[in-house]
Amino acid sequence: MTGLVNAARAGRFAAVVSLAVAMLACQERLTAPGECPELCPGGSPAVFDTVLNPVPLSDSSIAGYVGRGSGIALLVSNGLPAANARAVYRFTARGDSVPLRDTLRAYTIDSVAIGLTISARDTLLDGLKLFLFQMPQELPVDSNLTFAQVEPLLTTDNLIDSILVADTLNAGQVRTTLRGTDLEKVAIPPGTGGVLSLAVAIGAPVATGVRLGSAAGTNAATFTTYVTLDVPDTGAVGRQSLTPSVAFNTFVRETTVEPDTTLITLGGEPSSRALLRFDLPPKLGDSATIVRATLELIPVEPILGLERAPAVLQARAVLADLGAKSPVSTDERILVSDTVSSGSADTVRLDVTPIVQFWQAAAERPEALSLTLQPEAATFTRAVFGSTRQPASSPPRLRITYLVSFPFENP
Amino acid sequence: MRRALLCALLAALPTGAAAQSSQFGVRGLGYPGRALSAHATGSAGAFGLFDPESSLNPAALGAVTAVTAVFTGVQDFRSVENPAGSESVRAARFPQVAFVGPVPRFPVVFGLSYSNYASRDFSIATTDTIALRGAPVAVNDTLSSRGGLSDLRFAGSYRVQGRWTFGGALHVITGSNRLESRRSFGDSTYRPSRESAEVSFAGVGASLGMILQLGPAFSVAATARSDGHVNVDRDSVRAGVVDLPYSFGLGVRLQASPRLMLASQALYHTWSGANSDFLAQGAPGAENNFEVALGGEYIGNVRRPFRLPIRFGVRYGTAPFLLQPEEQPTELGISLGTGTRFAQQRAGVDLALEHVWRSAGEFSERALLVTVGVSLRP
Repeated sequence: MTGLVNAARAGRFAAVVSLAVAMLACQERLTAPGECPELCPGGSPAVFDTVLNPVPLSDSSIAGYVGRGSGIALLVSNGLPAANARAVYRFTARGDSVPLRDTLRAYTIDSVAIGLTISARDTLLDGLKLFLFQMPQELPVDSNLTFAQVEPLLTTDNLIDSILVADTLNAGQVRTTLRGTDLEKVAIPPGTGGVLSLAVAIGAPVATGVRLGSAAGTNAATFTTYVTLDVPDTGAVGRQSLTPSVAFNTFVRETTVEPDTTLITLGGEPSSRALLRFDLPPKLGDSATIVRATLELIPVEPILGLERAPAVLQARAVLADLGAKSPVSTDERILVSDTVSSGSADTVRLDVTPIVQFWQAAAERPEALSLTLQPEAATFTRAVFGSTRQPASSPPRLRITYLVSFPFENP
Repeated sequence: MRRALLCALLAALPTGAAAQSSQFGVRGLGYPGRALSAHATGSAGAFGLFDPESSLNPAALGAVTAVTAVFTGVQDFRSVENPAGSESVRAARFPQVAFVGPVPRFPVVFGLSYSNYASRDFSIATTDTIALRGAPVAVNDTLSSRGGLSDLRFAGSYRVQGRWTFGGALHVITGSNRLESRRSFGDSTYRPSRESAEVSFAGVGASLGMILQLGPAFSVAATARSDGHVNVDRDSVRAGVVDLPYSFGLGVRLQASPRLMLASQALYHTWSGANSDFLAQGAPGAENNFEVALGGEYIGNVRRPFRLPIRFGVRYGTAPFLLQPEEQPTELGISLGTGTRFAQQRAGVDLALEHVWRSAGEFSERALLVTVGVSLRP
């Protein structure tokens, strides 16, 4: 019996000591300063830099992706070199009566409010003014509309109102309300279907532009009519508002630019995208560690656009090389982007490290990337870069910095 | 009361106690382990060739009278200095586990032990500035290793006519280094890199030993060991072969008085045999190394010799793996230890404190090693 008690005591004591030892052993701090080469077995990681050009004649741009007016913004400008443009909205029909208590009721218009959303503008420009014009009913407002059709109609007779944009407003909604005799400016003649078409122009001390909200961006212009129904009831039920939505919107530009197929064009409308194909050398196989990959695009001319409203250059990995219809990755981790400022012919650099690492990790994927200028068909920015197809230009470069496999010293 | 004091001492140990890694284990196979129990460490290893709880001499198993399990943990606080700077580091390991037991009615003892053969736990941080894309970029590199080599020993001893004890052992040497290289850049446009590899080892060795009792107070022990070579695989691919040393040891033990026992031992390892293997890998190489230890044990109560004896010792030696050519590291250590057994000697705990100084040219370190051993005799 005494032996059992002693054994139990021994076990308890051993457990306590073991626990103490385990607690002591839990902490570790091993990092110490090192002096090379004595304390650097294998040496130091070796870093190399290499520059690749696209596979010859395989860097191209393709136009026709997002059409004019289908982007998330409409362009309006006043002689901006990038584009002289006007925006046009066509609203759905506004009925001439309103159903109330199973009866269509005529109404009297009390006021009309028109709202526009500014998506982007030159934020340093003061005195920007928006001009709203009603388009005649006979003008077909559709995708065939041209600048030449619209511009002559932007007259005082068709002017609805002008909106002075607050200098402090960089983006957001502006609105004008018409009452009394001004309602005549937005009157829709009877028998014409009740459709209002609106053109927007701008005025400013210097050439500039704005990006206005569109139906695709879910922030298109609004057209609200406040009415009083012809009913005996003089209460709130008699006062209603009619809000036709935008049925169609677009913008028209004075000149049309056809992309040069021997160069890489990004932006414009219909939007152009680029497909660049590379061939990673064997030394960049899976044993190398890519720490930085920069795509360098050399403009052939200063990039046109709107000051302080930059576009975004976006690159995505191509999942399968099917030319213009190549599917691209939607994985945010391998999507890279950066802004592109206008007015400069400096080399545009984009960090595409995640994409090149993706190529390295997935050998079955094409070593190609797709470039777009965002928002597509909704920015003044249009960039033209050199290509291997145009010998007189400087083609894109992919500058890769990588570490070769660390030569761990085998003892 | 003494047990309570011992427990209090253990509990008061700093929680950051660390292990036996060393900057002198960065090159080669790592810093060599000593295969000593806490009992032997308390006297600087001077009794190692006679200690059945250690794994230096298979003949030492002859002293075992009961089945015994021994567990040893070693930790250190280490202060490292080299031309790049200084730092206080700590780590922990369990370098010695042993199970031994006699065969009833035969003068034979068998033992199984697991010892640290070489430790390669380190993290080395360096900084530099390199030119990338035409601009200077600061880089921070960290090379780290976890692991080492272990020695699994199957040993037996046989006592002849009371005076002679012979022993033999088979050693299986195995282990791995998990290596990792990291680089980060001062310019955040460069992504940090990380690369890793696992180097594994496998080898077999054998050792022989003897202890001769020359009179009632004097004993001599000797051992010889050959570890052959170890195969080195990196990420499961054969990377090479490293010759392991022959080892020789000689020890003496003197019962100077009923209360005082003195011992000394010398060990010699022929690591220069691996020199060419290391040079081929770009390492500075290896040289033969030795260790000499002198120590003693003072017993306060001769009737209860296991109750808090005082162990002491000093040792001096060299380390086999060079950081710089022609500059072999040296190590000096002083030790102090004690221990107790209780529950009718069914269990015991041993504690050893050791302060060591290591140096090689501009590289030096000093460390406080804390060794705790727990033994059970069910």
